[in-house]
Amino acid sequence: MHSSRMNRRRTTSGLAAGAAIAAGALVLAGCAGSGGGGGETDAPAGEQVTITWWHNATSGPLPAVWQEIADAFEAAHPGVTVEQTGYQNEDLQRTLIPNALAAGDPPDLFQVWPGGEIRDQVANGYLMQLDDLIPDTIASVGGSIAPWQVGGKTYGVPFTFGIEGFWYNTELFDQAGIAGTPTTLDELNDAVAKLRAAGVTPIAVGAGDKWPAAHWWYQFALHNCSIEALQEGAADFVFDDPCWVQAGVDLQEFIATNPFQDGFLGTPAQQGAGSSAGLVANGQAAMELMGHWNAGVMGGLTPDETVPAFLGWFPFPAIPGSAGDPTATLGGGDGFGCSATAPPECAELLAFIMSPDNQKKFAASGSGIPTVAAAVGSLEDPNLKLVAEGLANSSYVQLWLDTEFGTTVGNAMNEGIVNLIAGAGTPEDIVKRMQDAAATL
Amino acid sequence: MTLQRSAPGDETVAIRTDLHAGRRFDWGQPFVHFLVLLLCAVAIGPVLYVVIGGFRTTADINAAPGGWPDPWVLDNWIAVLSAPRFWGSLLGSVILAVATTAGVVILGIMAAYPLARYTFRGRHGLYTVFAAGLMFPLTVAALPLTLLLRTLGLHGSYLGVIIPSIAFALPTTIIILVPFLRAIPAELEEAASLDGASRIGFFWRILLPLSRPGLVTVGVLAFIGSWNGYLLPLLVISTGTLPQELWPLPLGLTQFSTQYSQNTGAVLAYTSLAMIPALAFFLIAEKRIVGGLTGAVKG
Amino acid sequence: MSSSEAVGPAVSAGPTPARRRSRPGARKRVEIAIFTGPALIVFIGFVILPVAFAVVYSFFSLPAGFRWEHLADPDRFIGIDNYVRALTTPEFLRAIGNNFIIVGLSLVIQGPLAIVIALLLNRRLRGRSVYRLLIFVPYVLAEVVAGLAWKLLLPPNGGVNALLESVGLGAFTANWLADPSIALWTLFAILTWKYIGFAILLMLAGLQGVPEELSEAAAIDGASWWRIQWHITLPLLGPTIRIWAFLSMIGALQLFDMVWVTVSPSVRGIATETMATYMIQQGQFAGQPGYGSAIAVILFVISLTVALLYQRFALRRDLRGAITDRGN
Repeated sequence: MHSSRMNRRRTTSGLAAGAAIAAGALVLAGCAGSGGGGGETDAPAGEQVTITWWHNATSGPLPAVWQEIADAFEAAHPGVTVEQTGYQNEDLQRTLIPNALAAGDPPDLFQVWPGGEIRDQVANGYLMQLDDLIPDTIASVGGSIAPWQVGGKTYGVPFTFGIEGFWYNTELFDQAGIAGTPTTLDELNDAVAKLRAAGVTPIAVGAGDKWPAAHWWYQFALHNCSIEALQEGAADFVFDDPCWVQAGVDLQEFIATNPFQDGFLGTPAQQGAGSSAGLVANGQAAMELMGHWNAGVMGGLTPDETVPAFLGWFPFPAIPGSAGDPTATLGGGDGFGCSATAPPECAELLAFIMSPDNQKKFAASGSGIPTVAAAVGSLEDPNLKLVAEGLANSSYVQLWLDTEFGTTVGNAMNEGIVNLIAGAGTPEDIVKRMQDAAATL
Repeated sequence: MTLQRSAPGDETVAIRTDLHAGRRFDWGQPFVHFLVLLLCAVAIGPVLYVVIGGFRTTADINAAPGGWPDPWVLDNWIAVLSAPRFWGSLLGSVILAVATTAGVVILGIMAAYPLARYTFRGRHGLYTVFAAGLMFPLTVAALPLTLLLRTLGLHGSYLGVIIPSIAFALPTTIIILVPFLRAIPAELEEAASLDGASRIGFFWRILLPLSRPGLVTVGVLAFIGSWNGYLLPLLVISTGTLPQELWPLPLGLTQFSTQYSQNTGAVLAYTSLAMIPALAFFLIAEKRIVGGLTGAVKG
Repeated sequence: MSSSEAVGPAVSAGPTPARRRSRPGARKRVEIAIFTGPALIVFIGFVILPVAFAVVYSFFSLPAGFRWEHLADPDRFIGIDNYVRALTTPEFLRAIGNNFIIVGLSLVIQGPLAIVIALLLNRRLRGRSVYRLLIFVPYVLAEVVAGLAWKLLLPPNGGVNALLESVGLGAFTANWLADPSIALWTLFAILTWKYIGFAILLMLAGLQGVPEELSEAAAIDGASWWRIQWHITLPLLGPTIRIWAFLSMIGALQLFDMVWVTVSPSVRGIATETMATYMIQQGQFAGQPGYGSAIAVILFVISLTVALLYQRFALRRDLRGAITDRGN
């Protein structure tokens, strides 16, 4: 039995070692994270205050800009610590923030999405009202504040806002013999055909992530629906107007011209060189319909990490004979808001972020178009200037429809659109899904 | 141990571990080797791709995804190994995994012992309670769980990940351990009681050593489960005040890969390094499974 | 221990309880309580309780950022509406179908494959322990890691297609992850790659319990290797196989991580949705926690039903006299 006695001793000492490690680990674990949740401020005003700040900047030049601003605020306000963290966008918007709000322990300053989400958050009393605290800041962003207001009161301030358009490769257009840029849908179809003939993938779409494909439908809806129909949909989830179905019909016709890259259902929008942005950035596709952040994204996906020199921009072409307002555009932006339980320093931080000097830094970094008018002049990227111009010339900016309608209807709508472009759904299905989803709210 | 058997006729069974290859030529043996090598190639092919990819520049990868490094670069590895966030994440993962494994093994064997070898009313019910836990994956309980953790003040801490991880690993552990324990013959227990040992003594001195293979198995599973866990750390740790440097590896990896999404080479390097500790642990544990089992059978 | 006793996992019928009567029942109860207590407390507190809450949520219509107060709002209580909606939604029914397809494929393909490989690895091969380690590597990898690796290998211009072309199988290249008609098969292949190591590990552990003396005796009598496996080893491996099948089925029904990480959301919604991914998509990303909780409960019920049926009909022999008999 010699061996089994040895086994016993080894097992016993093994167990004892295991127990010791476990005990030690538990002690460490308790110490390591016992700070509790985010957003707690233990000290009364005048003493140590910690502000937690969550945003979606994880790559490119923007994280450094935010860090710089946070450090500057700390320096100017002794006793205040700012902890800023960048999270992946979907994680932040769909999981982290809703869960934190639901559990009653949210961060102090965080990214607030306009449209349906901010309306839900205000209805639940999650957000701090900002009108009396930072009125100058609110005034400085002009009309773009509107999507961040609910019931006439302001609950968030946008730092960037822009419209959607085509980011295209001027060199490939030249190669395919396309003169200028398309101003009507027919011209766009023409350009697609020429690019195909030249052996170039005409349009890249990140349909894998659902929303990039959905934006095509949003554009067709915008061009077919009157402003009233759009507002009716947003306010009451009424989609009876035939324009909503027409949008799907138009999209089907467009897809029949074979404009997209192969396997577009699996292509992501922004991750890696195989994404739709990466394809255009590396010259493997000629255009992409995308929001104003795309220049910065593309800049990160090239081998030398600069925005390609061949990049140009043009707005979505008009559809002659359509019922929509031709001067209306589709756009969106990002903004920050404070939670209702945040300390007053949070509003000060927000005002500091929105100050013209800091917004000039934001504009100069090429991360997007600032909302603060004084900072627009600091834009360096020529394409962003074009976008800003397009924004200024819009009579009405419709928010991305999935943002406008909120998560539930938005998700159902996007799924219906993906089914359509995969050939598994009809234009009527999309509207039905939206109506069914709205009925569950 | 060397054992040679052969039978006359065409059915030759060569069972050997010594190295005199070629003395008896068994068609089965090279064929088996070939098959197994093929399987191994498929198994580790993607892993090798990731590791080799770490030696490539991102431009190289984008230009030819399926090619060899050209040139071979060490920059990615240096960048990752010199990043404090990597070592911090490694430490975090180690703490979580060790604590979870210890908890699972200790609580699991303790609970499995009465379930396997005592008879009492409610034993079936108790076993069913644990087995029913298999029906609910973590994803399902995630939201209510995070609310509960905040109420208990465990949110944002390692304990908030360790304790639920232990809880969710218990059903598999108990289901694996109970048959192991049941298989130990009653005669051993009778002999032990004749020698004057109590049930606890039997547990401590005889049952535990004999169940080592089972313990190692559940320990390995628990370690790997904790090491690779993503959802729970995402909901508990990343939303807390713990600095990013101490986030466990899967979280750290996703943060890294979104922050450096254009730098595929660095992401591959980080990924490769993240695999190593779990592999090392398994290598150590795997020998003990074989050794322990052989010991148990041979006495 | 004499070699005449059959030793192996779950083979014997279990110890006879004869000695128990001589011990005081109270002491036994205390021992049981102390031994099972900690596990029970942790389990009930962190698994059962949250699950119970999820059941409660399923009867309500809840917004994305909901709080306790919403549960007190009578307008939000909608009874079984969430369940009716789930069971009449084609996407969810398709997801259930996908889960069962994967269950079937796992049992029919992964099981026999794992057994054969385990039998091969159980022979005295040179380098056996190295092989075992290599085959288990995929299981050890995190899902995030594995998903990332396969995503890089499977695009049309990726490593897999490059490999096929280099060995002359260029006709078989495909857009593995982006083509909805083959995405489910691609997924199953990846799942097999990832999880077969676990099956092999279990089988190997079970094989260790098969006494070598039996195989040796049969070999002396002139039986070939295959005959030994078929007539002696496999039957003794039966209980292990049945346990593996149980865990494999439950795992297939609850499949989430690999699907979520590897397949793009669009392709997933069309071709490879599982109950769990549908639940997270609707409950979390579409902002409908009440509906998502109902899906979770349905997932639970399906898993439980399968588990109970399986335990009753397949596992009964292995646990005879121990677990499935009542009032013992």
